[in-house]
Amino acid sequence: MSYFLTQLANGLSYGLILGLIAVGFVIVFTSTGVLNFAHGSVLLTGAYLVAVLQDPIGFWAAVLVGIAGAALLGVLINAVLVRNLAEANPGTAAILMLGVDILLLTELTRRIGNRVLPIGAPWGADVVTFGGITLPTSRAIAAGLAVVVFGVLWFLFARTGAGVAMRAAAADGDTASLMGIRLTRTGAAGWALAGALAAIAGIFLASFPSPGIAPTLALTAFAAIPAWVLGGFDSVVGAIVGGLIIGVVTALAVGYESDLHFLGRGLGEVVPYAVMILVLLVRPSGLFGRQEAVRV
Amino acid sequence: MSDLLRRLPLALGVLVAALLPLLATDFWLQAGLFAMAAVVGAIGLTLLVGVAGQLSLGHAFFAALGAYTYAWTAGEIGGRAAGLGLPPVLALVLAGVVAALAGALFSPISGRLRGIYLGLATVGLVFLARHLMVNLETVTGGFNGRTVAPFAVPGFSFSNSDPDYVAVAGVEFEGLHRLWYLFLAVVLLAAWLGRNLKASRTGRALANVRDSEAAAAAMGVHVARAKVTAFVLSSAYAGIAGALMALAYGRIAPDLFGLQLSIDFLIMIVLGGVGSIAGAAAGATFVVLLPLVLVQYSSELPFLASPGSGGLEAATLARLLYAAAIIAVLLFLRGGLAGAASRLRHRRDHSPPDTGGPPPVPPPDSTDPAPAHPGVPPRSKETTS
Amino acid sequence: MPDPILIVDDLAVAYDGAVQALRGVSLRVDTGSVVAVLGSNGAGKTTLLRAISRSLGSVGGAVTAGTIRFEGEDLARRDTSWVVRAGLVQAPEGRRIFRDLTVEENLRAGGYTVRDAAARKEASERVYDLFPILAERRSQRGGLLSGGQQQMLAMGRALMTSPKLLLLDEPSLGLAPQLVEQIGDIIAQIHAQGTSVLLIEQNAAMGLRVADRAYVLEVGAVTAEGSSAELSATDDIRDRYLGVGTSEPAPTAPGEERAETTTGLQRSSTARAQQLRVEDLTVRFGGITALSDVSFTVEAGTIHALIGPNGAGKSTCINVLGGAYRATSGTVHYGDAVLSALPSHRIADLGVARTFQNISLSLEASVEDNLLVGRHRLMRTGTVSQALRLPRARREERAEREAVRRIAALLGIEDLLDRSVHTLSYGDRKRVEMGRALAAEPTLLLLDEPVAGMTHGESTVMADAIRAVQQELGLSVLLVEHDMPFVMGLAERVTVLDFGKHIAEGTPQDVQRDPEVLRAYLGTAAA
Repeated sequence: MSYFLTQLANGLSYGLILGLIAVGFVIVFTSTGVLNFAHGSVLLTGAYLVAVLQDPIGFWAAVLVGIAGAALLGVLINAVLVRNLAEANPGTAAILMLGVDILLLTELTRRIGNRVLPIGAPWGADVVTFGGITLPTSRAIAAGLAVVVFGVLWFLFARTGAGVAMRAAAADGDTASLMGIRLTRTGAAGWALAGALAAIAGIFLASFPSPGIAPTLALTAFAAIPAWVLGGFDSVVGAIVGGLIIGVVTALAVGYESDLHFLGRGLGEVVPYAVMILVLLVRPSGLFGRQEAVRV
Repeated sequence: MSDLLRRLPLALGVLVAALLPLLATDFWLQAGLFAMAAVVGAIGLTLLVGVAGQLSLGHAFFAALGAYTYAWTAGEIGGRAAGLGLPPVLALVLAGVVAALAGALFSPISGRLRGIYLGLATVGLVFLARHLMVNLETVTGGFNGRTVAPFAVPGFSFSNSDPDYVAVAGVEFEGLHRLWYLFLAVVLLAAWLGRNLKASRTGRALANVRDSEAAAAAMGVHVARAKVTAFVLSSAYAGIAGALMALAYGRIAPDLFGLQLSIDFLIMIVLGGVGSIAGAAAGATFVVLLPLVLVQYSSELPFLASPGSGGLEAATLARLLYAAAIIAVLLFLRGGLAGAASRLRHRRDHSPPDTGGPPPVPPPDSTDPAPAHPGVPPRSKETTS
Repeated sequence: MPDPILIVDDLAVAYDGAVQALRGVSLRVDTGSVVAVLGSNGAGKTTLLRAISRSLGSVGGAVTAGTIRFEGEDLARRDTSWVVRAGLVQAPEGRRIFRDLTVEENLRAGGYTVRDAAARKEASERVYDLFPILAERRSQRGGLLSGGQQQMLAMGRALMTSPKLLLLDEPSLGLAPQLVEQIGDIIAQIHAQGTSVLLIEQNAAMGLRVADRAYVLEVGAVTAEGSSAELSATDDIRDRYLGVGTSEPAPTAPGEERAETTTGLQRSSTARAQQLRVEDLTVRFGGITALSDVSFTVEAGTIHALIGPNGAGKSTCINVLGGAYRATSGTVHYGDAVLSALPSHRIADLGVARTFQNISLSLEASVEDNLLVGRHRLMRTGTVSQALRLPRARREERAEREAVRRIAALLGIEDLLDRSVHTLSYGDRKRVEMGRALAAEPTLLLLDEPVAGMTHGESTVMADAIRAVQQELGLSVLLVEHDMPFVMGLAERVTVLDFGKHIAEGTPQDVQRDPEVLRAYLGTAAA
């Protein structure tokens, strides 16, 4: 039983981190209509900055620089590239982001090489145990922090003028601009938020039990895609729930792989996508996505 | 006359491709095989993305399916990995058929999701493919993969044996030469079928579905079936492309068919100009040859460092150029290479350009209460039909 | 004479450089006054407002000539955000409230540019005073409000910035008569609080009641202006709206015409037009009833028009008949088939073809390919024989191209067959879409505003073409149109909708005299 609970707790904390990434996908998509395939390399950039700066300026300052750097990178990608597309539509924007991802990832891979850069977080490789559940301290902190971040996001979107403006712009940009809301600003804010969330997620994904930062970290953002799709493409709540579902399912698949050996090795990698495809078969617009009526 | 002129580049291209094996070194022959395999897959994807407006990141799955189907069905019975010992010609056809069937199995999703939403859903297929390749060891050989039986028709093998010696104009025709012509024939057939489809009733229906599902349905097009048709056709192309890849490599392993292959396919067709068959061929050739050529000639390029020395390596430079090329095309070259070519042609003819289009004209007073998304045309906001 | 707050001088606007939406429009709004711009659908009213609020860009329009001055400031180089901050706010047509945001959040979004929290609070209290129902529902999602409440929210949202000039785009659209009265009163109240108002209305009585001054806009140009009292006193507006005086004459007498323009079209099957019976049709979207218990019959082989003010439910009706929308209740029979139970492509197979209000063509494809899509349902060869170019497929393709050429000739677009659609003018695109529908050899043709935005000459050509194919092929036509001379000259029977209800039916002459119809178009005062 405690094994199950430990797996569950691991899954929930991992799911919350995936949620941070998936929410970034949602915000970029609703604020600028872009399917951000470069999200993974933005995440890696943030984590990389933390790893290389922690020595000279200290961990916490490096964290701030990493988050700000990832946010700025997002804003620049949007301002310099996305807004200058020769043919602006979701398809070309998505492919542009594939190109940006390759560019960033190639450069980061060149810099990192074969090394694994330690993130240098003060929580190190500690574990916490409560009620028979063992969890890496980093994951416990990640879960707590993710909940706080989601709370802040809720406050931002529900209680501040800027947040309400972002939601209005996402729902109907044309009308929002008639209210004096600048879509370039809400778009930039969306990219900045997504970048910051990705950097936070990256820091925790590079912490124990992971040995540190390697280029493959960027692939983790791909694991958040099922979470995003599962939740519905434009729902922040859906992305969080999707993250939790994927996190738990993945952790259980990995934890009980020996009992599920008839399904093959490496189950953890395929299960998120299998869940996604199954959900799409039943609900093509995801769990929380709005089924839009066809308009003529 | 103008018809003849328009066909001239194509005729020249075919001629060059047919004569090249007489002159080229083994490196170029091998590179050409890889490129031609990719061209077939790219043509299939451009029918799906360009004509039907559906995105797919799952083509590595269908290519893998084709590659392993070929290797398995043509494989020797009782070899290290299992084989059925079927004639290679049949195995090649089966590669396309099995991929098409898998594409059809995906129809509950491919018929309902549209555009980028389908693209996201198909990401899952790549991971599914990897899982199967690694775990179905008896068929696939697991992590390490399996060898691929050479292509042959009765009495003639496309390897270095049977007949042992063939020469044309004094050039000995080895396996690579022989495969070259097989690949060229498949490429030409794929392009011809693709062009016919594009200009047919089916092609027009797909284009109409892409531009407006409501209008297509009102003209009697079964929208979901049209989307499924495009997906299945495109899967079959990918399956054949996978089998060709298997033949070109001679040995296949799961790493060949990762997400990167899917992304490469997409970038090929966007570089060339989505929806254009010649563009898909050009894009595929560029994407395949760039890294091969840079690595091959890296010692002659002074600014490149040797692998492991910490400087700019050829493989890294190839990736950077590749990414820069796709970004530059999307920012500056509306309609990709094909778009640019057609604009050039039209400038010569002094007639209005034929590529890219302004957004649809809204009527002066629209009563549509639909909320528009910033930068997203309303039709793309609908996830399903 | 009071100071003008807004001066529009000789304004011209074009969409995509191709469609001229406004020509030489001049108007002024004096400080503290209410000005109405009247006109039917397609006249360019919304375009005018978008030009003033600097929001044309997002719909592909641009000012090509003329100036707009707000409080003396030239707006040429200003964006929407600047204009809103300067005190000029537009409440868009069709309400466009943020459905997933609560009432309170909608107002918050409206007051986005107001930085001062106290000022924002004051503004929202003023809005709640003006619309007590919104205060009651402040934490409810906007999408759950009724149509009238949504209109109030849209107006309240615009008032959050305490604008000096409020632009209202058809506030009465789709609202029941007593609600229209109420909205009128509210506009008067807003005006009394010191806000100038520029109001766009199709409901002339409502517009003239609240406005000091009015302009009539027709096909992109101002054709009449004056004080509300002057304009109310004449029959001018009624004549314009209902096409009175144009009901009798068809541009060419039917007898001659048949001899002159034979269409050369033949059916490839023996399909015949059937009777179309719409019975108790009701359509609801969310909380809004777009059609309620509408019944009418289109006899086989006749031209039937569906008219009514903006928002009456005409397009909704066409969309249900074509299968794009589902009926909430009620049935539609075409002969023996039940259309309301079938998906679009099955309806098309029965010989029902349609055009769309917002032209829906493949822009990059050639005209010929677009027309060939119309032949889709008539073509028989399968995907495989097309891919292999079997002789059967080639023969069929040749025959269909020939058929399409005849249709193009009939509509005068033969020379355009090789052009791609995006290079065509608006009028030509309309003709191509008509051609695509005809290419399907329909027995019933549904036309959603076939001549919207066309000049008189162009619409005459279109009317001739419709009449010619209708007579030669014996098909039925159901058309929705705002161009009354066109409708009255073409239709044999007319059904009038208002607020989703069937209010009148008869010959064009009957309908023009019907007091219910006069009221629907011109408002209560006119009846």
